Amino acid sequence: MRALVLALLLLAAPASAEETLTSGLSQDYLQITSTFTGSELTVFGAVENPRAGGTRDIVVVVRGPDTLMTIRRKDHIAGLWINNARAKMWLPSYYFITATRPLRAFADADTLGRYELGLGNLRADTVASDGDAKPYADALVRTQKRAGLYIQTDAGVEMQSATLFRVHVPIPAAVPRGSYNVEVYLFRAGEVTAAQSTPFYVDQAGFERRVFEFAHTSPLTYGLFTVLMAVALGWASTFFFRART
Amino acid sequence: MEIYLPIAQMSVQWPVILGLGFVIGFLSGVFGVGGGFLLTPLLIFYGIPPGVAVATTANQIAGVTFSGVLTHWKRRSVDFKMGAVLVASGLVGSAAGVWLFAVLRRMGQAEFTVSASYVLLLGAVGAIMLNESVRTWRARRDGLSTSGNRSGQHNWVHGLPLKMRFRQSRLYISVIPPVVLGFIVGILSAVMGVGGAFVSVPAMIYILRMPTNVVVGTSMFQILFVTASTTMLHAADNYTVDTLLALILILGGVIGVQYGVRAGAKLRGEQLRFLMALIVLVVALGLFWQLVIAPADVYSLTGATP
Repeated sequence: MRALVLALLLLAAPASAEETLTSGLSQDYLQITSTFTGSELTVFGAVENPRAGGTRDIVVVVRGPDTLMTIRRKDHIAGLWINNARAKMWLPSYYFITATRPLRAFADADTLGRYELGLGNLRADTVASDGDAKPYADALVRTQKRAGLYIQTDAGVEMQSATLFRVHVPIPAAVPRGSYNVEVYLFRAGEVTAAQSTPFYVDQAGFERRVFEFAHTSPLTYGLFTVLMAVALGWASTFFFRART
Repeated sequence: MEIYLPIAQMSVQWPVILGLGFVIGFLSGVFGVGGGFLLTPLLIFYGIPPGVAVATTANQIAGVTFSGVLTHWKRRSVDFKMGAVLVASGLVGSAAGVWLFAVLRRMGQAEFTVSASYVLLLGAVGAIMLNESVRTWRARRDGLSTSGNRSGQHNWVHGLPLKMRFRQSRLYISVIPPVVLGFIVGILSAVMGVGGAFVSVPAMIYILRMPTNVVVGTSMFQILFVTASTTMLHAADNYTVDTLLALILILGGVIGVQYGVRAGAKLRGEQLRFLMALIVLVVALGLFWQLVIAPADVYSLTGATP
């Protein structure tokens, strides 16, 4: 009992020290192999030097590599639906966000926009062929949400104690390869008071990786190999069927 | 039962892909078509990126067709001289088609052009074949004589210069129509991801007047080389050929084609053409429907480059 009181005192003692965050990932490297059907990443962490009083809120964001996306709009022309206008924008290929509560419950629109928190606040340098870029950006978010690549949930941060938290991040099978960033924000009274970011990599492994590298380093040999494989299989099948009939 | 495709960068149910390969292989054996006009849209519908679907379908057709070419070679139903003319002009056509496809894709019209050309070509070809096969079928039922080999009849093709003798087909015709046909089929192969048999088979029968028994073998011979070159071009230029996807499709395909060839041998020429006309028309109608009905979302993601 005394030990516990002492521990609590020790934790509360350095009142001058700032409240900060530490966080870690269940893995910092995700390998895509032939049996890959999606996975789950666990982000865990703790608030250090917790200050008493007030409410703490934690936001966890996972951002995939930025990609140049082309969105086109179909128009009804002469009875047919034809692509008629387009917009190009740089946006993350994967985006996950969750918090202890709905974002607007503890932060105002300006703050959320400044940190690009929430699917509605992703900043894109959009160039639209017909002027208004907003509907294209909205359409992209819709498409990516359907594909399971953009995810926003309200209360995905599980508080395991007053200061320990954990988040499960779903990684779909169609996750793009590349370098990801896991960002954790600590909110106090509507402002970010601490933040931490950890890199995370998604890459192919084993046979898949070798095929991918072969196809990109010597494409002509790869093409020839693929054609020969096809023809050899076709040839082999005739022997197999002749033997059986 | 799922497997991750390294180039398409997604996982698929491999039994579904295997079954798809079998069905397409079966049709290929029956009708002497590559089946690309069905396989490409089906793969895209399953969620494979269109670029990968087009390029990998070309490779699957090459593999499946090879066993068919061997089978027809043994039956001496391949006109190698006609095949060589078609292949030579087809290679030029496929290079032109890859260039055309790149231009269309930059304009954002690749998808629409492919669908619209499918509708027009399949619709026209299907209607002509359906009409012809029904008439032949009726004539046979009514006891009228129908000659299978109509090489005695003359049409405009016989007025053209540069005549060449094709002994296997018992033809002495100008080399211009086969060269033009080969070129067109080459373009179709690169742009639509098809072997092009739905154009070349009817053209060989109705324009070149080749005997039906060598048409299928010769068409397969041509398809083998044109799709092999299309695969190489796509692998080199666009990195869109997925070996693993092709492997599963071909395994299903080569088995299907063996059963298909056997089933096809039991059917008469006009019955084959009637069935193929029906399949072609159904696909054309399906694609036309997609162009006409309002899409669920008028916005679509058409490209993502890192």
